[in-house]
Order: sequence, then structure tokens, then C-alpha cells
Amino acid sequence: MKRLLPRLLLGLPAVALLTLFFVLPYVEMVAMSFRAPAFGQPFGSGHTLMHYGRALGDPLYTGALVRSLLTGALITALCLLVSFPLALHLSRLQGRWHVVFYACIVSPLLIGVLVRNFGWMVLVAVDGPFNRWAMAAGLIERPVRVLFTQGIVVMALVHVFTPFMVLPIATALRNVRPELREASASLGAGAFETFRRVTLPLSFPGVQAGVTLVFVLSVAAYVTPALLGGQGIAYMPAVVVRELIGSFAWPFGAALAVIMAASTLAVVTVFTLATHRLAERTRA
Amino acid sequence: MTQIDIIGLTKRYGTTLALDGVTLQAREGELVSLLGPSGCGKTTTLRCIAGFMDPDGGDILADGASVTDLPPQRRDFGVVFQNYALFPHLTVFENVAYGLGVRRVPKAEQRTRVAEALAMVRLQGLEDRLPRALSGGQQQRVALARALVIRPRLLLLDEPLANLDARLREEVRWLIRDVQQRARITAFYVTHDQAEAMALSDRIAVMKAGRVAQFATPREIYQRPAEAYVARFTGEANIIPVRPRDRTAGGGFHVPFGGVVLPVSGVEGIRPGDAAMLMLRPEALSITDPGAPDAIPALVLGAAFLGAALACEVSLADGMRLRLQASPHGTVQPGMTVGLAVDTAHAWLMPDIPQ
Repeated sequence: MKRLLPRLLLGLPAVALLTLFFVLPYVEMVAMSFRAPAFGQPFGSGHTLMHYGRALGDPLYTGALVRSLLTGALITALCLLVSFPLALHLSRLQGRWHVVFYACIVSPLLIGVLVRNFGWMVLVAVDGPFNRWAMAAGLIERPVRVLFTQGIVVMALVHVFTPFMVLPIATALRNVRPELREASASLGAGAFETFRRVTLPLSFPGVQAGVTLVFVLSVAAYVTPALLGGQGIAYMPAVVVRELIGSFAWPFGAALAVIMAASTLAVVTVFTLATHRLAERTRA
Repeated sequence: MTQIDIIGLTKRYGTTLALDGVTLQAREGELVSLLGPSGCGKTTTLRCIAGFMDPDGGDILADGASVTDLPPQRRDFGVVFQNYALFPHLTVFENVAYGLGVRRVPKAEQRTRVAEALAMVRLQGLEDRLPRALSGGQQQRVALARALVIRPRLLLLDEPLANLDARLREEVRWLIRDVQQRARITAFYVTHDQAEAMALSDRIAVMKAGRVAQFATPREIYQRPAEAYVARFTGEANIIPVRPRDRTAGGGFHVPFGGVVLPVSGVEGIRPGDAAMLMLRPEALSITDPGAPDAIPALVLGAAFLGAALACEVSLADGMRLRLQASPHGTVQPGMTVGLAVDTAHAWLMPDIPQ
């Protein structure tokens, strides 16, 4: 193979970049999680498994992990529910209206994370517009506390992660040829039956991509839960950051981070395996 | 077994008139082809019949009852698409069973009917494959079986052979005709291929710019075209501008051509003295001795050996060029002067209608 060497050389920059900024940090993080703790410095000499034992044995940490995973699943499910109709609409638009609608869909991503969350704080403050409108409309008698609840965290994350769900689903739907819907209709299927038997299954490649992205992003979300969730509810990323930066306990923080990453990966793997058959059938 | 009547169908896209009063009929068990070049309205007509598109005017009747306002899923018309439109995520069996599942047919009956439909299109043993693992010909058979299994009142075929290679096209063409005949199902067949339309159809509607130029049997269309457009579209034809001199005793016309006067039949309504078009199919012309009585002198411009015939191009004294097929055993060569004999039984006079 005379041409193999040039090809390998072409790939070299990418391999170098990934090794430097992706593989090495992970290796370092995993290695760190096995280091011994020490007083007055981030870590000591020697290796230990104690951090994993501590993390997995303490309900404070396992509770935060489970809460993060469940909230991630809830956000993903709500996101899917909100996104599917949007994706369906986006996939059927043409020309100028497609561009306009596309811009609306990605607009949450165009706002900085602090500005966006501050916006939510203002919106749902006790004397903010949300409470005033709801009272004026007679929906509530007195202002309700929305800020610093799980609800607002979920809402804000669904809002910002919607583009990651809509765009892959819309792409998958765009790949469903219109003749398939016509064929389905000619065979006797009404609009709902056609949606259930043809459009929905064929959107699966997009759903799979969107679900994976949104779940991973939700579990790892740090800023939004920290700002909108207040101090009362502990999510895993906040716990990790607290250990790493607050307590300066690098090995324990690293162990928590590794546990969080591994759990997320496990959930994604289970989802991928469970839907393997459908994915195989519907791949473009 | 359903009779379909299409009455004065019109459809407008913006300012262009895609269908301009299309009137057609398919009797019970008849296969009617819509033949024409792209943009003539044949696919638009089919899509209106299927219900994928609403006509702006006119009516579509199935056994006398209007279906124009029914959505496609309530028409019971099977459609075979040019690109097959098989459901990519369903196996061959599931694709064919689709219409039965929608109709809540019991599973056991689904299995028998799918097996019957697949046997009819001669495709067995591939029930568990996904469409992407099938060849084009196999996909087209699945599409046909899927449309037939619901026992539709009408079968609509939109250029079903266009994406197949030449050898397969022939094979699937006969399969379609055979299946349509055995199921005794009324069908409309859209194509731009005149040979396909000739071979398959009971009747052909030749379409021109959103209208039906002629609607008749293949024989009629080929031998007695209503206008030069139809003659050109249905096979090779020499079209010669002429002026008929007077009527013959048999109801035909005396047409002066190349120094002789030919008695030919033609379209009703042509008046002697008017400009008209004489159609001479290549097989209406033959080469004889230049000295024979009524032979038209001609110069051979070119000759190509085609196996079964010798395709020749000749020119007459006035420069008119004609194509004809001579016997492959002859010794016709470019540059020779020959006599042309016209078989007036294969000649036909048409009105001079702008293309």
C-alpha cells in the first residue's frame, strides 16, 4: 500500500488534537480519581479506591446522581414532546419561511447563558411579569414562588435544548420522501395512521440523535441549575464543582465526575441497544 | 371491476394551465395509457385521479359516482409510483401487508393474501428483506403487489418502468399486463414511451399541452392519427404538407404528391383545397424500379443496415426528404436513383393543426 502513508499523515493533525484535548484530559481525570487525598494540597502520593467507595456509599452523592439522571430523562422527554411538532412544521416549510422558522428555533442558543438565565429570573420573580399576568388573568390569587424550584430548572433547560432536538428530527423528517405519505394514503391510511406507521418511525434517526444530545447536555448542565435552582436542590455537576473548587478535593471530585460520565454513558448505551432494531431499519 | 369517467378536468399552476379540459374513460378491466412528453399533463391527470391533487374543475367518476371530493385513502385506488415509494423501514411482507393492516384485516388472512399477491408478481422467498436489499425490478414487483393486495377498484401506474434497465423493462412490462389482465382490474398507465403504451394498452390517450389530442386504440392512434403531433409521437412518420385535390368515390382524398396523385383516406372534415398533412409511415413506402408505373423517382441519401430491415433516407425531385424501410436483401446504396412505391393503405391525411 504505497498510498497508505500520505493518508495516515493527513489524519495526523486531527489525531493529535483529539489526543491533546480529549484523550489526555480524560486519562488524567481517571488517574486523578485514584489518587490519595492530602491536607493542604489538592492530592497526595499513592493510590486508593476510597473515593469511589465514599461516593457510592453516601446517599448525598448517589441521590444527586439519581436526581440528575431522572431530571435529565424528564427534560429529554419534555423536549421531545415540544420539539416533534416544531420539527414537523420546520421540515415542511420551504424557502424564506424555512429560514425564518429555523432562526426562531435556534434563537435560544443565540443568547448568552447568563443573560438567558437572568431573563428567566426576572420573568418569574415574585413581583415579575409572570406573576402579575397570572394574577391579572385570575389564574392565581397571590404570587407563587417559581424561582429556585425544580420546575423552572426543567423549563429553562427544555427551552435551551429544544434546538438540539428539533434540528436532527427535522432533518430526518425532511428525508422522508413525500411519495411515501401518498403511497400510504392510497393504501387506505388516514393522516394519523400515516403519521403513526410511516412518518414517526422514519423520524427515528433524528429522535435518536436528539435524545442522546439532550440527555447528555441535561445531565451535565451546571449554570442553569445553579442560577435558577438555588441552593436547596443538589444536582451532580454542582456537587462535582463544589468538591473540585470549593473543597479543593481533586481526587474525590474526579471520582464523582467519572461516576457521572460513566452513568450517563451507560444510560445512552442502554437506550441505543434497546432501539437498535428500529435504528437499523430506519437508517437512511 | 370499475368504470372510470374523467370529465373536463382542469388544473392551473399559477398562470399556466396544466390541464385544459381532460376527458377520458376507462371501461371495466381496460388499461388506458396516458402518453405524451414531459409537461403534457399526464402525471398531473394521474395525481388528480389518485386524489393527491385537487383539480380546479371537472369531475372524476367511479362507476358513475363522483370521487373528486374523496381523500385518496377513501378512493380505493392502488398506485404504483415511478420510484416505487416502498416503505424503507418495512420488510417486503410488511410493505405488501400495509394496506391490509390499515384495513384491520385479520393476521391469518393477511398472510394468505400477501402470499397470493407476491405469487402473482412472481416474487417469493424475499418476504423478510428490507427494500434497500432488493434490486430495482424486485422493488417494482413489491410495489405492484402492495397496490394489488388491497383489491383496488382502479390501478394507477406512474411511469413504473422508467427506472429499470432495458431488459428488465421488457420483462416487467409483460408482467404488468399479465397481472392486470388476470386480476381484470381497470388501470391508467402514464408513460412517455410509445412502444410501451402500444404494447400494453387497450386504449391510448395522447396528451398535448394539457389536452387529450387523441383517445383511441393503439392501432387507430398509429394508423389513423388525428393530427401530425400524434403521428410523430407514436412512431416514425414522414409528414408532408399537401393540398388534397378532391374527394375519391370511396370517401378519401386525391392527393398530389411527388408528381403522382395518391388516393388516401384521412380525418373527416378536411376540405379539398385546404392545407393538410400527409402521413407516410416508413412501412408505407417501398423501393421499386424507377421505370415502374406510378413510381416516384428518388435519390438515395443514406442507408443503414438494421438486421431486419434497411433504413433508408431518400430525397425527391423537389428536395423533400423521406425515411423508409427497405428489404435487407436489396442492394440499395447511397447515390442510387430509385423508384418509390406508396402503399396508400398505409397513408393517412390529417388536418394542418399547429404543433
